[in-house]
Amino acid sequence: MSWAFASIVDAGLVLGVATMVCGLAGIGDDNTDAVAFACAGAVCAVIAAVARRRVAPPDRPGTGRVFAGIGLLWTVLVLFGTVLYAATGSVARLDDALVESAAGFTTTSLTLLDAAEASRSVVLFRAASSWVGGLIAVWIGVVTLPVVLRSTALIGYTTGRRGLDLVPSAATGRRRVLVLYSGFTAACAVAYLLTGLGVTEALVVGLGTVSTGGFTGRADSLAGYGAATQAVAGVGMFLAGAGIFVIWWIARGRLRPLWRSQELRAFVVLLAAATVAMALHRGVGWGEAAFMAVSAMSTTGFAVVDWTGWGTATTVILLVAAGIGSMMGSAGGGMRVMRAQLLMGSAGGELRRQLDPYAVVLVRRDQETLSQRTLDRLGGHQVAYVVLVGLGAMLLGVSGVSLLGSVWGSVSAVTTFGPAVGEIGAFGLLEGVDRAERLALVPLMLGGRMSVPPVLAGVGLVLNTYRTMQRRIRFSLRQMSRRRDTPGQSGPEDG
Amino acid sequence: MASDTVVGAAPAGPSPLRNRFDSTTMHILGIALAAVSLGMLCCTLLEAVTSRRDTMALGTSALLAGTAGGLMWYATVPGVIRMRQVFATVSWTWILTTVVGAVPFVLAGTFAAPGVGFVEQVVNSVFESASGFSASGSTVLSDFESPGRGLMMYRQLTHWYGGMGVVVLAVAVLPFLGVGGLELITAELPGTSSDRLAPRVSETARRLWLVYIGFTACAAMSFYAADGFSSLYDAVAHAFTFAATGGFSVHADSIGHYDSVAVETVAIVFMILGGTSFSLHWRLVATRTLGYHRNSEFRTYLAMLGACSAAIVLIIWLENGLPLGSSIRAAVFTVVSLGTSTGLSNATGPGSPGDYVAWVAGAQLVLLFLMVVGGCTGSTSGGIKVMRMRVLGLTMLRSVQHAQTPRAVIPIRLGADSVRETVVSRATGFFLLHFVLVMAGLLAVTSLGGELETSLGAVVSALGNMGPALGEAGPTSDYAVAFTQPARLVLALLMVIGRLEIFPILLTGVGLVTTAYRGTVRQGRRTVRWTARRLEDLAERERE
Repeated sequence: MSWAFASIVDAGLVLGVATMVCGLAGIGDDNTDAVAFACAGAVCAVIAAVARRRVAPPDRPGTGRVFAGIGLLWTVLVLFGTVLYAATGSVARLDDALVESAAGFTTTSLTLLDAAEASRSVVLFRAASSWVGGLIAVWIGVVTLPVVLRSTALIGYTTGRRGLDLVPSAATGRRRVLVLYSGFTAACAVAYLLTGLGVTEALVVGLGTVSTGGFTGRADSLAGYGAATQAVAGVGMFLAGAGIFVIWWIARGRLRPLWRSQELRAFVVLLAAATVAMALHRGVGWGEAAFMAVSAMSTTGFAVVDWTGWGTATTVILLVAAGIGSMMGSAGGGMRVMRAQLLMGSAGGELRRQLDPYAVVLVRRDQETLSQRTLDRLGGHQVAYVVLVGLGAMLLGVSGVSLLGSVWGSVSAVTTFGPAVGEIGAFGLLEGVDRAERLALVPLMLGGRMSVPPVLAGVGLVLNTYRTMQRRIRFSLRQMSRRRDTPGQSGPEDG
Repeated sequence: MASDTVVGAAPAGPSPLRNRFDSTTMHILGIALAAVSLGMLCCTLLEAVTSRRDTMALGTSALLAGTAGGLMWYATVPGVIRMRQVFATVSWTWILTTVVGAVPFVLAGTFAAPGVGFVEQVVNSVFESASGFSASGSTVLSDFESPGRGLMMYRQLTHWYGGMGVVVLAVAVLPFLGVGGLELITAELPGTSSDRLAPRVSETARRLWLVYIGFTACAAMSFYAADGFSSLYDAVAHAFTFAATGGFSVHADSIGHYDSVAVETVAIVFMILGGTSFSLHWRLVATRTLGYHRNSEFRTYLAMLGACSAAIVLIIWLENGLPLGSSIRAAVFTVVSLGTSTGLSNATGPGSPGDYVAWVAGAQLVLLFLMVVGGCTGSTSGGIKVMRMRVLGLTMLRSVQHAQTPRAVIPIRLGADSVRETVVSRATGFFLLHFVLVMAGLLAVTSLGGELETSLGAVVSALGNMGPALGEAGPTSDYAVAFTQPARLVLALLMVIGRLEIFPILLTGVGLVTTAYRGTVRQGRRTVRWTARRLEDLAERERE
């Protein structure tokens, strides 16, 4: 059975259970929605459970197939959400349902939902969709790329030896990640409850924090909440952005790897630098600056204030922070701190080679030397990332968004941050954005969430298909011309 | 940092110049200043026979630059040079030439206006000089009527010097420079590497300058004819801009001043040729055959300009509601102007078809892309260059193939040749540094009070040596309105960094910081040792 099908079944099981729970939790609020969600979730979970017994993922799937499978998986998830939103009438139009679903599963803090009017099931499902999306992103980053593909040279594999004890095998790794992720969610929800939030609200914000989805169920994100809630959100976002390895080490009480992790140190330094740089500007408090820095770097998208009015330099700092993004092994998006470090090391190496063209420059991370091949792939990945952002900005620009809104919107969607300067605004509300512009955000969110390689693999598949078709057509044309030529050529020979 | 590679050595045997200082940097700088002073002198003569307003300022500047340059040239002799010194030589030559080049503007009071202090005048002069020598074309000049013709011609001449490069000129002048001349040229010329047009480096530099002069003459004659033989001054001034792909004009509304299809057509042709490798032009002169179509970079360059023009015509025709004819005229001129990093404009005023800041965001984003890419390698244009973009695109496609077959060995091919991996990693490194500099520049300029959209356009434009930017720094505005004084200085630095293609200035900066750090550490150690010795002495004395 194909790897893609197996992974869709696994994801379907989690999604089905989550949807069913959302439906059941909504009973007593809007029973129609509750029953619809519960039934849809139950059907999805039962089908996935039955299929899971009969499906065994292949031992060694091909890289291309895995990447194509990842692309298919996200597409199926988004379509499931779209159908559910449209069928229950939570979102009036099908295209809006697609945007809402894509924003949810890609953990982008953008929404069209009016949470005040939506039923409890819908609000919970919206948060759950980002939770499932975050879990799948962590599974892909921590289990699929390094373990299933068994290739240390892969772009996504930057966990090094540190990852080996968390993920000794694919099955154990998946289970452990699920337990850690769920435990972290429970801890966050309990912390929010202790700060005085209601059960549903605590759950919604908790799911949004852990998954870096950034959905709160309120139009002004976390601005209306108390300081304690905002503090819990800040810590939660930091841990969510730091990734599952950090949570694993904390859970195991292991402080040494925490200290030795270059990526974590860089993450903390960048957060501190962004906070200081923003707080130095007039009208920006230290607490607000730290909150927004961690929100941007973890690509969660929570906001405690309308930061778009802070001034141009602070918004550029947030843009850069969101562009760099979170750590490897987290549910967040962006380029990732590790990749940024490696790329800077690679660029520094080039500077050095200018002085001595024959110098052998080694780029290291966590006591491992990276091959030139890996660095080249990282370079290719980075170019693809910039191209995706550029194309996205052009797409938004052509569909009518202002220049600034296009650039910010594209970066924000690709990094799965969400809020943006311009039409979208600090709280990620898409109501004021035109329909064409909203739709233009969908491929960007999906491309960013897939972290580019599956998109590249998809492009590769299209290119290969095109080449194969071209070869076949040429072959057929040659055959036809030979058939035509044969009688003419044989004539004189025979004669 | 890595150990320096010795790239050249002083001529062997007893030197007739043995009593002089041994400094290649000073020697090259001296020649560059002498050359600039010669230009100033010519402009002084022009000023003297035309408007006579700025004769003294230009004459004094020529004298100062000539004396300083001559002294440096005469008092020094090129010595052994290492790679780090190559970069330092090129960087310092450019920085000091830019500063000296600002003197005529300061002395003439070009930027003097009510409410503008002396410091701001100096900042504006340095900005204008940096923009001129780096062939960018960004300007802080708002009053185009007050300066005399000589001074305006000097402003154009800074483009011309900077286009081919003052270091290349110095290498061409020095037949006996056996000190890594090729490395000096490579460090200054835009592109991935410099083509040797002759076995001798100085001969290569000379041929490059010969082609450059010929190109300028052709551009001047064509412009003169297209303008109806009305003004030779205008023709020569704009020819300097076309050759250097600069962007300065003697009129406030640039090429829009003529509002003539013939003039714009000539401008388009020469801007395209200015953005093409000068090695190809030399081959045309030397072999009398057109080899352009065989060059894959040139083909990509033309295809890119064509595709972007078509896209913008469609966008502004449909979205901005401009007539098709005006859309084509405005789009093609603007695309070629920004795609070759020239920066001339055919806007006749704010809101006219050529004023691209009034176009929809999609069209402006295409222009932003062109500003990043620039022209061909070996040309006078700025930006990342078409060749590097092709390598980067192919690297991305290779990533696509690697995503499917991770162990495959896939070479990158440009035409029939496969590209060396060192070139691939250099292109990737350059792209990364360019990207980092854009972000750092954006952060700096916005921190200094720039508006976000304008700052983004200005930073990309400055690094790509483009000239006009987006927002308030568009083709019908000037940088003095859009940016504060410190922001203008940052942009001036970015222009020089972009002109030298990042590495020389960065390496010189890193070298300076390293030297300062080592010096501080050494001094600190000395102080600690000295204090310890004193303390010991004191202790001994007390014991005694």
